[in-house]
Amino acid sequence: MPAVHRDQRPRAGVASAPPARIAAPARNVGNRSAAASRAHRGAAGRATVWFVVAGVAISAVFVLPLLWEVFRSLQPESAVSSAPSARGFTHLTLANYRTLLSGQDDILRNVVNSLIVAVLTALLTSVVAILAGYGFGLFRFRGAGIAFGLVLVAFMIPFQAVLTPLFLELHFLHLLNNLIGLALFYTTFNLPIGVYVMRNSFVQVPRELVDAARVDGATVRVTLLRVLRPLVLPGIATTALYAFLFSWTEFLGALSFLTNDSLFTLPVALSNVETGTYGAVNYGLLLAGAVIAMVPCVVVYVGLQRYYVRGLVSGALKG
Amino acid sequence: MTAIPASPQARSAARRRRDGRTGLILVSPALLFVAVFALFPLGFGVYISLTNWPLVGSYQFTGLSNYDALLHNSEFLQSIVFTLKYTGIVTIPIFLVGYALAAFVRANRRGSAVFRTLIFLPYIVGLVTESYMAVVELQPTSGSVNYALSRIGLVSDTTAWLVHTGLALTAISILVVWFYSGFAMMLLMAGMQSIPAEMYESARVDGASWWTMERRLTVPLLRRWIALSLIVSVVGSFLAFNQFFIMTDGGPGTSTVTVVMSIYNTAFASFDVGLASAMSVVLVIVVGLITFVQFRFLQRDGD
Repeated sequence: MPAVHRDQRPRAGVASAPPARIAAPARNVGNRSAAASRAHRGAAGRATVWFVVAGVAISAVFVLPLLWEVFRSLQPESAVSSAPSARGFTHLTLANYRTLLSGQDDILRNVVNSLIVAVLTALLTSVVAILAGYGFGLFRFRGAGIAFGLVLVAFMIPFQAVLTPLFLELHFLHLLNNLIGLALFYTTFNLPIGVYVMRNSFVQVPRELVDAARVDGATVRVTLLRVLRPLVLPGIATTALYAFLFSWTEFLGALSFLTNDSLFTLPVALSNVETGTYGAVNYGLLLAGAVIAMVPCVVVYVGLQRYYVRGLVSGALKG
Repeated sequence: MTAIPASPQARSAARRRRDGRTGLILVSPALLFVAVFALFPLGFGVYISLTNWPLVGSYQFTGLSNYDALLHNSEFLQSIVFTLKYTGIVTIPIFLVGYALAAFVRANRRGSAVFRTLIFLPYIVGLVTESYMAVVELQPTSGSVNYALSRIGLVSDTTAWLVHTGLALTAISILVVWFYSGFAMMLLMAGMQSIPAEMYESARVDGASWWTMERRLTVPLLRRWIALSLIVSVVGSFLAFNQFFIMTDGGPGTSTVTVVMSIYNTAFASFDVGLASAMSVVLVIVVGLITFVQFRFLQRDGD
């Protein structure tokens, strides 16, 4: 795995609390003899080896199936759809990807749709959540508590439960069968966590800094863009990352609100591949499509996981 | 502005008013989104559920007749039973596996950060993508899973996993536990790491075993996090749709139709919008109840 942050320790909710270290060596051991200490170090070394061995084995359970599917997607269709004992099982080819990304199936268009929706959702969510976080975090105003509660209520409403009325509403607003409409829907259901994360980011900004900017005559906008922006950047990264991954992998909403094949996002388009809407069922194509859907998640997460875990913990604490 | 001779109090009051207005303006886009795309649909859904809303044309109020129809709608009732059964099957394994994983990776030892990342990957990739992969690998004869299991003699190589209710439920449950336990691990680990290390010092001095410390110290201190992870997982299971839609499409027959799939079918296949909305209202209430009951249950003793 490239670019794994080895030093990365997910921030616990109580940032100042030290992590529970079960295997921490006892302090104040006092006068150990050199031999005992060496024996102790040997035992610790063996424990570390066992820990790593077990860790590798456990990790394999979670990662190998995904790697196996990458391997399978590189097999010719005939090998994917026939018994593994068949010849050609280890013959690797890009044929599935080539077929999928060209010709009548043209998944490329769906990949672009998915990217448009995911990027738009990430942008919208970030901008709206930054503004709201700034407002909730650094301004006192009447009804702030109720307003904040209202935003969080959206978190309690399962979006699966408003699908039908939302369908009618989007239809009325001419946002059905519309990638922007889908992005607006995704933005709404990503806002609670985004607003929560951003509000906490702004609350943690040293108060003196805000006051100093004000004394210097900085406007609200300048304070946000010049003074506060660098300080809340990690929060923005968390918000954008969540929104992007949510939209990229979302299925039910896209399935319900898009009926035009050419507008389908990738996960929905793959259900056409699965059922063979474009002709015979072709599992090689399905696997190649699934791998294409998987890669951005893995890349984005491994690169930015520091921010992801932050959001996970603060999002959880809200509950 | 500067020409107004005002007392300091008056000036600060004016500033507070201006601040209040600015704050409200800043949060209004978020409020607008939530109002338009979450709160309004929720209220609208309740309204529709009291009508015989057609796709085109006018509608009448029909009172609670949609709700009355629900009580006699065997597909919906069956979907509730099935979804509860599925939730019952996966919840405990997800928690136990998640807890064990969290206990394993919580300390900052050599490699633990990498292990966390790798164990969490299935959750990041998403259940939709993985369901498609599972469909391919569960095919009789050609699927890897089926092939491997038949080689060690557990099943016949022509086992059609996804067209038998029990087998499909088994396969999907295993997939979901694999997919979701990394998430449970992350939540529980965050809770474990927020426990001060000193809590363990005296227990260790007393020579308490790992198991005793875990049972007597970690679990009680973790109660709120355990409640949280259970609620999130139970609600998530109760809202299941994607994996069933992709892997069985509710079949064979309607035996693996979940609640959300039942709503989806009623709205978008039968076009019975009023009935689907009534189902949605029931869903919101049930999810709210699950959350409430679990919170009460887990917070009953203590704090």
